[in-house]
Amino acid sequence: MRVIVPIKQIRDPRGVKADPRRQQVTLEEAELVINPTDRNALEEALVLKDKLGAKVTVISIGGPEVEDSIREAWACGADEGILLSDELLAKADFRGAALALAKAIQKLGDFDLIIAGAMAADTCQGQLGPRLAAALDIPCVNDVYRILEVSGGKARVIRGWDEKFLEVEVELPAVLCIAPGANVPRLPHGARIMNSYQWEMPVWKASDLGLSEEDLRPGVEERGLSFPPERVRGRVSRGSPEDLARELVSFLRERHLI
Amino acid sequence: MDFTLSEEHQMFRSMFRDFAQKEVAPLAQTTDHEEKPPLEILKKMAEQGFLGATFPEKYGGSELDNLGYCFLMEEMAGACMSTALTLHVHLGLAGNTILREGTEAQKEKYLPDMAEGTKLGAFALTEPEAGSDAAAIRTVAVKKGDEYILTGNKLWVTNAGIADIFIVFAKTDPQAGARGISAFIVEKSFPGFKVGRRERLLGLRGVVCNPIYLEECRVPAENLLGQEGEGFKIAMRALDYARLGTAAMCLGLAEAALREGSRYATERSQFGGPIALKQAIQNYVAESAIKIEALRHLVEYTAWLADKGERFTKEAAMAKAFGGEIVRWVADRMLQVHGGYGYMREYTIERIYRDARALSIIEGTTEIQRFIVASDIFSGYGLKIKP
Repeated sequence: MRVIVPIKQIRDPRGVKADPRRQQVTLEEAELVINPTDRNALEEALVLKDKLGAKVTVISIGGPEVEDSIREAWACGADEGILLSDELLAKADFRGAALALAKAIQKLGDFDLIIAGAMAADTCQGQLGPRLAAALDIPCVNDVYRILEVSGGKARVIRGWDEKFLEVEVELPAVLCIAPGANVPRLPHGARIMNSYQWEMPVWKASDLGLSEEDLRPGVEERGLSFPPERVRGRVSRGSPEDLARELVSFLRERHLI
Repeated sequence: MDFTLSEEHQMFRSMFRDFAQKEVAPLAQTTDHEEKPPLEILKKMAEQGFLGATFPEKYGGSELDNLGYCFLMEEMAGACMSTALTLHVHLGLAGNTILREGTEAQKEKYLPDMAEGTKLGAFALTEPEAGSDAAAIRTVAVKKGDEYILTGNKLWVTNAGIADIFIVFAKTDPQAGARGISAFIVEKSFPGFKVGRRERLLGLRGVVCNPIYLEECRVPAENLLGQEGEGFKIAMRALDYARLGTAAMCLGLAEAALREGSRYATERSQFGGPIALKQAIQNYVAESAIKIEALRHLVEYTAWLADKGERFTKEAAMAKAFGGEIVRWVADRMLQVHGGYGYMREYTIERIYRDARALSIIEGTTEIQRFIVASDIFSGYGLKIKP
């Protein structure tokens, strides 16, 4: 059984500084970490490794610094890791990144599950899982809180659905997008940390995946960042409940809200 | 010169930090207030590989070097000093001494259990009449056949109430002074071994510290650590390494105090604004940060010397002396920043203040550390000084 976990390295959101006055976001001082929800995804995969002996492959796109995150995932218990990295891939947008990951997964051969984080904490788009499933033409279950069982070519999972939980059965291979906080991810183990830089990490380029500049041309152009308008503070009124009710009603009438 | 850490060290440090925040810090106040030994945390530490972190892989460890060990101690102390010290005595003092001095058979017998946490370690040197003057111990060991019979009392044995394996120092030749001391690995279950009533402490209230009584305690001869007469050297070597770890704990605890004080200063408002805007507070915070940064460099430099296999006795003594003093200074000033709230048991700084006081006493007082430094300096002039 093979489980693939795509991970993304991001700047630790806790260390990101925003200056609304200068319309500036400072990222550089924040540490580079594995996207928190991807850690949840990795944890689900490692549980399958503990229970069923699944082989866990971690895969990521980015510059050479991403290697550290892949090795950290290995120190947590993953069996192997692959970095997709070159200048063309660096420019790819969501579509391009999903395409490159899909090609890399096909190149790896047979697999049973792709377990991804539902969303990256930096972009909050949640596009990767569904896009991967579309590119590979396999089913996708989003917002997964728990994997109940994986057997007989099927997976049974609990997913969020309209403020309720829903039990879902899906045929393998499939993509499962793990909800944030679905589990408590394990930390890398000391003995594995010591050996985490002792193995050769394959680095695949766009050309290794059969992708050209044309394939990876971004469909989305980023023109700039702007902050949402500052929130106007509400009005605080004090008085007896009757007076307050009257004031509220007249306030809403003035604005033609009632 | 290059201050960059290796990738492995960075990964260790961030893992230690995550563990400290998630597993240790939330239990720190309860550990202190209820005076409970942190056994649950130790269990999780065992799973995470901390309890034998410095051991080779074949004994269940991760071969953590001295710098890595300092990171471990710094992060644990920053979250809970009682927990850090319990780990330090188990691993840094007991485990590492067996690793450094033990025979292959002794290591195979004890280290894997210590790494798994099924057996905890302790270190018994101090006696009622022998503290700083460690060579004055009165516990004796008499060889009878294939056993040593140990008789004497040991005081302030950290972990005694929860440990299974004790490094015990006793005189095999009472006439020979320091050269007559030998070291033994003593198990709690050996006949004649007794643990006394737990001491009640000012701080470090999660630490279990008891006297032990050796009443003709029978120790198999194969449990002699090193050779007869080598005990004092073994103890001093153990303390050199341990002091480095303790200095790292001072660093972690001082950092925690500074964090508490700085945060409070930005949140507490007086005279129409946060007290962080007052110069008196700024001076306390800045001076604390300067001392902490100086300690960090001393600790990391000493660890670097130790990892290169160079002599570091003087530097370890310096780091321990400096660390023990500055952590008290920083804790005191950061408590002052808190004003009346700092004196309340609900506030973390109150615990830090009590815990910090121990650090210029344990593992050799500041005065003894200064003697070690002075003796090293004067030995360069051909003068041998005595304490």
